[in-house]
Amino acid sequence: MSIRLQLLIVALTTLVLPWAGCQYARELETALRDSQEKSLLASADTIANALSAQPQRVFRDSSGTLGFAAGRGDLYVYPLRSQPLLDGYRDDWSVGGNPTSLPTATGYGARVLAGSTERYLYLYIEVDDTHFDAEPSNLHPERDRFDRVDLTLQRPDGTQESYFFGTSAPGLIAAQSIVKGDRGQDRAVEEPRIQAFWLQTAAGYHVEARIPLSFVGSQLWVEAEDGRGSGKAGVDAADVPDGGRLFFTTAGLDELLSTFIRDGTRATVIDANALKLGVAGNLSANPPGAADEGAESWYRRFMSVDTSSFPLQSSAPDRLGGNSVTAALAGKAHAEWVRGAASQDLLLTAAAPISSDGQTRGAVYLEQPGDQLLALRDRAVTRLFNLTLLATAAAVIIMFGFATWISLRIGRLRNAADSAVGSDGKIRLDMPESAGSDEIGDLARAFERLLARLNEHTQYLRTLGGKLSHELRTPLTIVRSSLDNLESEGLRDDQRRFVTRAREGAQRLQSILSALGAAARVEESIKQAERVNFDLRELLSSAIAAYRGGFPQSHLVLETPSDPCFIRGAPDLIVQLLDKLIENAVDFCPSAGAITVRLERTLGNYVLHVQNDGPPIPQALHGRLFESLFEQRQGRDDKPHFGLGLYIVRLVAEFHGGTAVAANRADGGGAIFTITLPLI
Amino acid sequence: MKKHIAIVEDEPALRENYSAALARHGYSIKTYANRKTAMQAFQIHLPDLAIIDISLEDEAEGGFDLCRDLRALSAELPIIFLTARDSELDAVSGLRLGADDFLTKDVSLPHLAARVAALFRRIDALRRPDNAAEIIRRGSLSIDGEKMQTTWNGAAVTLSLTEFWIVHALARNPGHVKNRQQLMDAANVVLDDNTITSHIKRMRRKFQQIDPAFDAIQTVYGMGYRWVE
Repeated sequence: MSIRLQLLIVALTTLVLPWAGCQYARELETALRDSQEKSLLASADTIANALSAQPQRVFRDSSGTLGFAAGRGDLYVYPLRSQPLLDGYRDDWSVGGNPTSLPTATGYGARVLAGSTERYLYLYIEVDDTHFDAEPSNLHPERDRFDRVDLTLQRPDGTQESYFFGTSAPGLIAAQSIVKGDRGQDRAVEEPRIQAFWLQTAAGYHVEARIPLSFVGSQLWVEAEDGRGSGKAGVDAADVPDGGRLFFTTAGLDELLSTFIRDGTRATVIDANALKLGVAGNLSANPPGAADEGAESWYRRFMSVDTSSFPLQSSAPDRLGGNSVTAALAGKAHAEWVRGAASQDLLLTAAAPISSDGQTRGAVYLEQPGDQLLALRDRAVTRLFNLTLLATAAAVIIMFGFATWISLRIGRLRNAADSAVGSDGKIRLDMPESAGSDEIGDLARAFERLLARLNEHTQYLRTLGGKLSHELRTPLTIVRSSLDNLESEGLRDDQRRFVTRAREGAQRLQSILSALGAAARVEESIKQAERVNFDLRELLSSAIAAYRGGFPQSHLVLETPSDPCFIRGAPDLIVQLLDKLIENAVDFCPSAGAITVRLERTLGNYVLHVQNDGPPIPQALHGRLFESLFEQRQGRDDKPHFGLGLYIVRLVAEFHGGTAVAANRADGGGAIFTITLPLI
Repeated sequence: MKKHIAIVEDEPALRENYSAALARHGYSIKTYANRKTAMQAFQIHLPDLAIIDISLEDEAEGGFDLCRDLRALSAELPIIFLTARDSELDAVSGLRLGADDFLTKDVSLPHLAARVAALFRRIDALRRPDNAAEIIRRGSLSIDGEKMQTTWNGAAVTLSLTEFWIVHALARNPGHVKNRQQLMDAANVVLDDNTITSHIKRMRRKFQQIDPAFDAIQTVYGMGYRWVE
């Protein structure tokens, strides 16, 4: 794994910053939530205390310790904002609730909804009775059966009055009551102040009735009865004397409440039965910053407080539920987070008991949307997130850049180390990055010291041959000059034989010595060579002609371009290069083989190929053939070979800015030496 | 009268060998081991010819200094460098200091004797009146084989002995290609190919100093050199 990648991974650890930020935001949210709970609870307490001080403004009457029970036909009277039209439909009732079913033992379906304006109590009764049994026109109350709805009202003064609705034809009707006739016979009398509309539908009939509030006390029994059969639903005063109780909202309570609360909060006062007595305020106040909620919501997805564990808000149009309501009605203020109807909506609810005379008679219930908090949290988190992401990105980029820089430097060092010892054995002493003051600089300097030491050693080895040849030359000259002198002394033939032998030995020693020193001499003379422009083609033709004379047994072929090939260099050196290549080729070429010298012009270069038939170059020698004093050839003569020839070839090629390469011929039938020389 | 030859050489065995060989040829020899003793002797009495090694005892370039001092004493005294050093630079430096020849120690004693004899002949010839018989003329070139003197367009070209013999060998048969070995043989020296090349180069330059248009010495690639008129 590259350093860059490693550091990149290290840099990714800065991602812990946003995570920490999220944790912090979560704690922040919890703290905010707590403080919101406390403040809402305090508000609830304050309102409850204020209301406790004036119970007459909260509770309509002081009775009613008995709980609300639909089974007893109890009715909650919704406050109506406008007077509904008596038409048998309830779509003009501004009420959220649905009619409640009347208790029945016979399966006869009837539902009732009650509402009130300042002056009237309205009833809306639905009865599932598809067969209309009309009221006979000449009614005998004891005998006649017809579809009817009985009402028993407890008057404010405590007396009870019974009425019934029945009709011979749907439409506007009045309630009727049974009175004793003069002849002891019951008869029906219309009560024109209690109006109703009888509407016949496919599923049954509706009765929408209007009763002046002055008729209505705290109880109202409703019973629907089928005209045929025994279908009956509802309660009557005789059977359930404590049933049919009416639960009114308190007039003026809404206005009272609205003075306590501010926008975005809804206050509800409930009585001990959790039925709503008054409601004020609304939840729909838009929290600031709600507009960019969509953009922020994705944060919530993976870091928000888990809201699914919150209870769903249990709230009916007429009553409230939930833990806080229960707790408050038990006399204890309580706050709770609940989920609203829409799953995303979070609501904070708080309830505080309203008590009078040491008795809990109701509660104040406050609701506040959690959106504001979420929005606040989201804004904080968004900023945090953006900042830390920015910081992380910056850290990653900086780390990456730094790593790139480091790895570039190391790469440069590595490349320099790779190429420090060139193919010609020359050592480059300068290392990149050695000026650096850090560990890489130290490393570079260590490399430099190493290379300097290596160079000294190489230099020593390189000059050893020259030095040796120089140092040995004097003693050798002593030997040879002594032999010269000895020969002049007039020797006997047998003595002369030994002298000749000694001279031959000295001669050989001398040629070895001059070969040892030759590399240095060649390098020096090449250095001093002068450059001129000359025609390589002409030089080749003349030289090859000479070689044909020099090596008559070899078959030399020359192929050149048709036009002159001018290069800049030292013609003498090029001839020397040719000498060595041709000598080498002749040495390896079998007597019947051919030596081909071909000159080509390529892009920017002249390429000189010298190829010969003969054995291929062994694989092990590739790349080493052109080294100084390297020679490996199967012995053919007893001349000392010091492998200077191809070394000179390379020196000359390099002097001209070119290269020398040896390879085997594609057909394996010989070797091919390729020299490239740049064009002028 | 015997010619006096001074040999300045720090290697005793070599000194003696050279001395013995040259003595055999009838020269009177004086040998010196270092520059100081040699110079003291030269200030009293100049030899007829001096053979000097370049590195003398602890002076690596003592021979060069000695040559310079000697040349200051006498402009005509023939001086031969005989040294184990064979670098181009040494040869050039030596010849530039006014030496008449530069020989490496590879030279055999008979060759050395031949050189010495040639130098003496050159000096003797200079002292005698002109002898037209020995003169080779090739266009602007004239070579006096006796005096070992070369002129181009009448102006003297100062060639070392080796160079003289090379020009002599080339000009004797104009148009004929002489390879390096032939030139070495003519000059009685053993040199490697590059040294011949640099000798040729130096000779051309000497001629070109007199006549910038000089190009009579032609390179025949792969073979050698020839004189063209």
